[in-house]
This record gives sequence, structure tokens and C-alpha cells, in this order.
Amino acid sequence: MLYPLVLIALAAAPFALVARFAGRDRIAWGLALIPLAIFGLTLAQAGPVWEGGQVVERIAWVPALGLNLSFTLDGLSLLFALIITGIGTLIVGYAGHYLANDSGLGRFLAYMMLFMGAMLGLVLAGNVLTMFVFWELTSVTSYLLIGYKHDYADARRGALHSLLVTAGGGLALLVGLLLLGQAAGSYELSDILAAGDVLRAHALYPAAVILILLGCFTKSAQIPFHFWLPGAMQAPTPASAFLHSATMVKAGVYLMARLSPALGGTALWDVTLAVVGGATMTFAAIVAMRQFDLKAMLAYTTISMLGALTMQIGLGGKYGAEGVATNILAHALYKSALFMLAGVIDHECGTRDLRRLGGLRAYMPQTMVVTALALLSFGGIPVMFGFVAKELMLEAALETDLGATLSLLAVAAIAVTAVAYLVTGWRLFSNTFLGQRSMAAMQQHITDPTPGMLIGPGVPAVLSLLIPLAFLGPISGLIGPASAAIYGKPLEVKLALWHGVNTALLVSLGAIAVGAGLARFGEQLANLRGWPAWSRGDMIFDRLIERTLAGATALTRTIQEGRLRRYILLTALAMLVFVGVPFVSFGLGEIRFSLDPQLQFYEILAAALIPIGVIATINARTRLGAIIAVSVVGAMVALLFVLFSAPDLSLTQLLIEVLSTVFLLLVFSVLPVRFENFSAAWVRRRDAIVASLVGIMMTGLVLATATNDAFAPLAPFFLENSLEKGKGANVVNVILVDFRGFDTLGEITVLFIALLGIYGLLRLRQGKDDVAPERVTTAEPAAEPVDTQR
Amino acid sequence: MHRNELPPPNRLPSRSTPRDSALYDSLILRTVSRLMMPLLLLLSIYMLLRGHNLPGGGFIGGLLAASAIILQIVAFGPKTARRILPVNYLLLAAFGVFFGAIWGLPAMVAGLPYMQAFWLPEPIPGVGKLGTPVLFDIGVYLTVIGVTTKIALLLVEEPILFPLPAMKPSPVETEDGA
Repeated sequence: MLYPLVLIALAAAPFALVARFAGRDRIAWGLALIPLAIFGLTLAQAGPVWEGGQVVERIAWVPALGLNLSFTLDGLSLLFALIITGIGTLIVGYAGHYLANDSGLGRFLAYMMLFMGAMLGLVLAGNVLTMFVFWELTSVTSYLLIGYKHDYADARRGALHSLLVTAGGGLALLVGLLLLGQAAGSYELSDILAAGDVLRAHALYPAAVILILLGCFTKSAQIPFHFWLPGAMQAPTPASAFLHSATMVKAGVYLMARLSPALGGTALWDVTLAVVGGATMTFAAIVAMRQFDLKAMLAYTTISMLGALTMQIGLGGKYGAEGVATNILAHALYKSALFMLAGVIDHECGTRDLRRLGGLRAYMPQTMVVTALALLSFGGIPVMFGFVAKELMLEAALETDLGATLSLLAVAAIAVTAVAYLVTGWRLFSNTFLGQRSMAAMQQHITDPTPGMLIGPGVPAVLSLLIPLAFLGPISGLIGPASAAIYGKPLEVKLALWHGVNTALLVSLGAIAVGAGLARFGEQLANLRGWPAWSRGDMIFDRLIERTLAGATALTRTIQEGRLRRYILLTALAMLVFVGVPFVSFGLGEIRFSLDPQLQFYEILAAALIPIGVIATINARTRLGAIIAVSVVGAMVALLFVLFSAPDLSLTQLLIEVLSTVFLLLVFSVLPVRFENFSAAWVRRRDAIVASLVGIMMTGLVLATATNDAFAPLAPFFLENSLEKGKGANVVNVILVDFRGFDTLGEITVLFIALLGIYGLLRLRQGKDDVAPERVTTAEPAAEPVDTQR
Repeated sequence: MHRNELPPPNRLPSRSTPRDSALYDSLILRTVSRLMMPLLLLLSIYMLLRGHNLPGGGFIGGLLAASAIILQIVAFGPKTARRILPVNYLLLAAFGVFFGAIWGLPAMVAGLPYMQAFWLPEPIPGVGKLGTPVLFDIGVYLTVIGVTTKIALLLVEEPILFPLPAMKPSPVETEDGA
């Protein structure tokens, strides 16, 4: 039973709202029992996974679309699910302390629970469409969390950027997944993974790969989409720690890892991932080194690590798969700890600017120890879990099948990144805990936070040390099935601290030596002339949004400039282009026209009165005359319906005719009695031509559809089944309310919406008249100061 | 100035409420429409119910009922028409859509596709065979009445079109021209 895991988290969201009323930190730890329970439930079901099997569960949702709510628990899902719920437990508890004085704590925790449910659904989904639904849910909940402090413009901007980038990527992903499903013949992950050879040879393969990668790269903040992640740091720190380091941003990595057995092994996939990932890793690591804001620093190192994961998927091979799984876990542990610690420092000192911190070792010794542990793992110092992970990354680069050049480049990139990490880590530590007590520390009484708040960062930081020392065996049992899922074949994994003296170790030690040497110059490096502002990308994105909006406004102004005549003209022209042109090109041959020899003279007479009515309408001098002439047309149409035995249509037509005449009279009563000519002659000629063309086109279309026998006529079916199945002798009505009742429901809904439109148009305009004077009075005083300044 | 000089056209004392404005003030129209109103409404219900076997149905019935009410508006003015049939037509239209939609649900409860028809085994005297399609048709009927009548009322009560109590404002052009 996998779906309850997702359901529990989603259902917990409303309960989180009670945090508003109860003791805050305690209620948060109480709520933390929910992810803990899911953690336990996941483990309890993981039996087959340890042996390399999987748990599969399928609920038909929309079977016609191949959309199943299917869930699968295999090694990779298990690793992610345990990280999500494990780190989630700590962060929910931590959030209670962090937001203890915030009135919105309940709302925040509710969002967190929703997010957790979405994320669990994403990693447990066994159907790519199901997964996509949860993928989008994580984007939406992330938007809510980043914009949590919605009264700050920066928070709103960050939230909007993240939503636009990830949801935009999500659209690409959706199309990519649909193509993938088309190519594989199924949307079930198991089928897709089994169809690897078919997929790689399929014509849709390149398009599907590019679109899916767009989705993954945006979600996992790869260059050039990396800029949204630093902006997302506007979220409260617990959310940053959870979403933007440990879980959500890894969704892209998860999907790439998940699909790599099916899609990998081609140059397109492998090289793209290796190059984009490697570039992101190196670039972000160097940018991180030069930050002054604790959270910005961590954000860039996160981007860097996401790049490293992407690169390893591209590098592939046994070590690539192992490296991805190990690095995901190692990174989740130390990075969530570091984010929570940044939150602790921010919470206690009121700033997270490195230039205003310093000398905290005397005041926050416990925090310092925990930070040191997490940073050692982050820097990849031996015996920490981060070291084990980095060794695997280097092995992946050394053993890759992508050729010597890429292998060498990857090793170099990892070395540069490792050096940058060390400098970053040292800068973070020394500027915070060592040196002089800063101004910020002088001003207030600073101590370690309550023990409860240190549990959050403490547990993962200590695990970063304990896992390599004591638990490498059990963790190998978790990493093994996960790596196998990425590798696509069973894999024997035995993590070890010591592999003997090999190239990876030498590169690693060299990087540590260089890093230690450079760390002394960290501040000088940070203060070097910066990257040009555009390298952050977010300004460009802002500009892009502005331009798009301006373009849309300009387009709207051209098309919808407010005059009804223009709308009609544009609509008619669009019809001529999009319906008329294809019809003339392909449909003219479909017209089979012949006069019925049994045509009666009164039928001809009624038909002839229609064009006469039209001509009379056009030439009418007065409005009343035009209305009467138009109703002649309607009446004749109704008469034709009678002659051709359609009493229902005839009745409806007559009633509509009466009512529209009344409506026309109502509206025209305020207009002058006679028509005046304001349009130039050429305008009238143009309109006449357009109108005639549309008329000819419609005539042709009706003739073509009425005389075409390409499709089996529907009438016999309705005639046969109306009485028996529809229980009615009036076939027209049976069609309306039974056979095609759904259409009718749509029609009355449209009718009602049209009424709302008319209501709004007439009533809101009346309202505006009342408001207008007020607006003028408020606008005047505001205008004055501007004038005086000038 | 121009407006005041004109004698009010056809403004005979009417039986409509004070400050109400009939669109066309005529004793014959008032008398006939008063007599016709119940008949037309009855006819519309008849049309609605017989629709399943003979020409008629929710659309036609609804349009008939709406024209009956609009006839009142034309003859007596919107206020009187509202007093005679105190109905919120906007709500009526919304209710019609809702009422039409819910009769598709019983099929879903039974595990069948939405809007699958259900019929009572025996016809009900005076109504005929009763089933979910007939009930759905009643939803259509109510929506059509609500939408059509409300649009007419909105137009008639629009102060730019029909400033109370004068019936016909002088055209805007002549004011500008003067």
C-alpha cells in the first residue's frame, strides 16, 4: 500500500493549521511525527527492495488515456522517499522554533505538508503522467513557500521567477513525456524502462529527450536556468533547507536518473548531461565562493551540486550510478544541516551577512561544532560522508565511456569545484565563528539556540560523520538498489572509506592541499572585481517578462481596439484565412450540387424572399426598417423549416426572431431614427467585399457538408434508437436532452456565462460612474508634489 | 430645451406603478398582455413537457415563457413586471444550469457514465414518462427563461438607454449640435 504514504502527507496539511492556536514549537514537533510515521511505513514496505525487487501498485484512474495512479517503490524511490520524510521530520520540528513568533506558522506548515505529499507522489509514481501531476504540484507549493512573506517585493519576485521557470519547464516536460509515451506505447514507467532500445531508435527520441531535459534542467536549476534558485532563497529558511537543497530541486535529477536506463547511452543524452552538468557545477562553485550572504552562498553550492549530479548521470557507468545515489544522500544530509544552521545564525544574530558576523565561537559553541561537522562533509574532507561521495564522483569521471577528453575535463572540473568548496567552506566558517566579535554580535545577547532547534541540523551533521565510520554496510544496502535503478542492471555496491592509493585519492588530496592554501586568500578572492551583473541571469529574465507583457499589451491594443466594427472585420478576415483558404484548397471538390426536381414553387418563393430581405436590410434608411427587413429573413427561414418538416427548429427560430426583434428595438431606441453614413466609400466597399466573401465561403461549406457522404450519416441511428433507448418520439428533443445531452449542458452553461458577461458589461459600467469622482479627488494631491519637484 | 418642448408621446395615465415606464403605453397592449400572461406561461410548461414526443422542449418552452415576461415589461415597465413575478432571474439562470447538471449524477452513483438516462417504469398522470432527461430539460427551460429575461431587464433598466421616468431621451447628437 504505497498511495497512503502520499495521502497521509496531503491530508496532514489542514491539521497543520492548528499550529496557530497551540504551543508552537511543541505542536511542530508533534506534526513532525507525521513524516516520521511515513518514514517508518516506507521502511516497513521496503522488504523486496533490499533484494533488488520492487513494490508495484496500480489504480485505474482514466484508463482511456492510459492514465493510471500507479505507484512503484524501488531502490531509487526508496532512497528519495527516506530522504524526503527523514529530513522532512527534522525540518518540520525545526520550523516550529524558527517561526515561533510568526503568526503564519500554521499556514507555513500546511504548505510544507502539501509539498511533502507532492514530492512523495513524484518519487513514488509508477506512471509518467501521474508523476507529472505531482511534479507540477511541487512547483505550485514551492511558489507558495517562496512567496510566504508575500508583503516583501523580493519574495514575490523570487516566487514568480521560480514558478515561471519551473512551470515553463514543466510544459516542455509534459510534451516530452507525451512523446516518450507515444514512442514507448505506454505511460507506465516499467514499460518505458523496458523499451530502451525501441526508444533510442525511435524518430521521436531527439525531440522527447530535449523536451524532457528542458523540464529537468529548469527544475534542477542548471545553466542557463540557474538564476531562479538564489531568488528562491526569499523563502523562510526551513523551506529553503527542505525544498531548495534536499528535495524539490533534486526532482529534475531524479527524473534524469530514473530515465537514464531507457534514454541514456546516446551521445545526445550523455554528452549534454555531462557538459551542462559540469559547466553548472564549476560555474556555480566559483560564484558561491564569492558570496557574502550565507544563504546565497549555500544556494550557489546547491546549484553546483545539482550540476555535479547531472554530470554524473551523463558520465554513466557503474561509478556514475553509484556516485549519483551516494552524492544525493550525502548532499541532502550536509546541505540541509547547513541551511538550518544558517537559519540558526540568522535567527540569533539578526543577520546572515558574512561582513557583519564574526567571533561567534565564544557565544555559540554548540552551533560551531555542528557547523564544522557539516562543512567538513561539504568540503569532502576524509572520513566524512562527503569524502566518500566525492571519491565516487572522481571514479565516475575517470572511468567514463565518453572519451579521454571529456574524462579529463570532468576530472579537472571536479578538482576546481572541490577547491572552490573548500574556500567557500572556510570563508563561511571563519567569517562567522572566528575573528573579532562583530558589530552585530556586540549589540545583542547572543547564545546557542534552544536544544530543540539544534536537533534539526545536528542529526544530519552527525550522520555525515557516523555513516562512513560505522554504518557504511547498511547504507550500502540502501545505495545498492538505488544505483541499480539508475544503472538499469543489478549492481553490487560496497561503499568504503579506503580504496587504496589511486588516481581519485590523489586528485582529491591535491585539491584539498590547493584549497587549504587558497583558503587564506578567500576574502581577496571574494572581493575581486565581480562578474558582470548579467551573469546572474535574473535581470535578463525580468527584462524578458517585461518585454513579453509589453508585447502582449501592444498586440491586444491592435486587435481589440474597442470598436465593434473592427472586431467583426478581424473575425471575418480570420475566418477567411483559416477556414476559407483551406476550404478552397482542399474542399471545393466535395460540393455535389444538383437541383431537386420536386422543388415546389412556394419553396422557391420562400427561399427567394431571404436574399430580398437581406438586400432590403442593407439598403434600409431607418433603423426600424432594417429591423423589419431582418425579421423577414428570419421568418422565411422559419417557413423553410416548416416546409422541410422541422417543426422544432421552426418554433425555435420564430421565438428567437420575436425576441431578437424586441432586443433590437430596445437597443436602437436611443439611436437616431435614420442611419447616418460616417464611413468613407472605400471602407464600405472593403466591408462589402469581406462580407460577401464570408457569405460565399459559408454557402460553400454548407453545401460541401450537406452533400458529402464521406462519413456514415448519423440520422438513421437516432431515428432507430430514439423511441427505444431515449423513450421519446421527438427525435430532435431526444438528441438534445439524451443522446447529446452533454453538449446541451455545455450550451446552457455558455448561455449563462454570456449572461454574466452582459451583466458585467452593463452593471460594472454603471458602477464606474459612481466611482469616477472619488478617483479624481485622490489623484489630484498625488500629482502636486511631482510638479513642485520639477 | 429641445426635450422639454416636445409633448410626451403616448403618455396617458397608466396602471403601472408610479415612476415605472412602459416601453409602449397602450391600453390594448396592457389588457391583452395581462390576459395572455398566464396562458403563455401555461403553454410554455405544456411545450416543455410534451417535448419528448412532440415538437417542443426546454429551449422552446423557455423562450415562450421569456417572451411572456418580456411582454409584461414592454406593456407595464420593468418595475411592475418584477412585482408581478418577483423572481431573481440571474439566480434562476444559475439554478437552471445547476439543476440540469445534477441529474447526470445518479448514473455515476450507479457506476455508469455521467448523464446516462434513468426512467421511472410507469408514466405519471398529467406529466407523462418521467426520467432524468426530462428533469434535465427542466434545467434547460429555467436557464433559458433566466438568461433571456435578465438580458431584457438589464437593457430596459440601463439608465443610459432608458433614463427614468422619461421614455425616450432626445438623441445625443442633437444635444451636441445645439
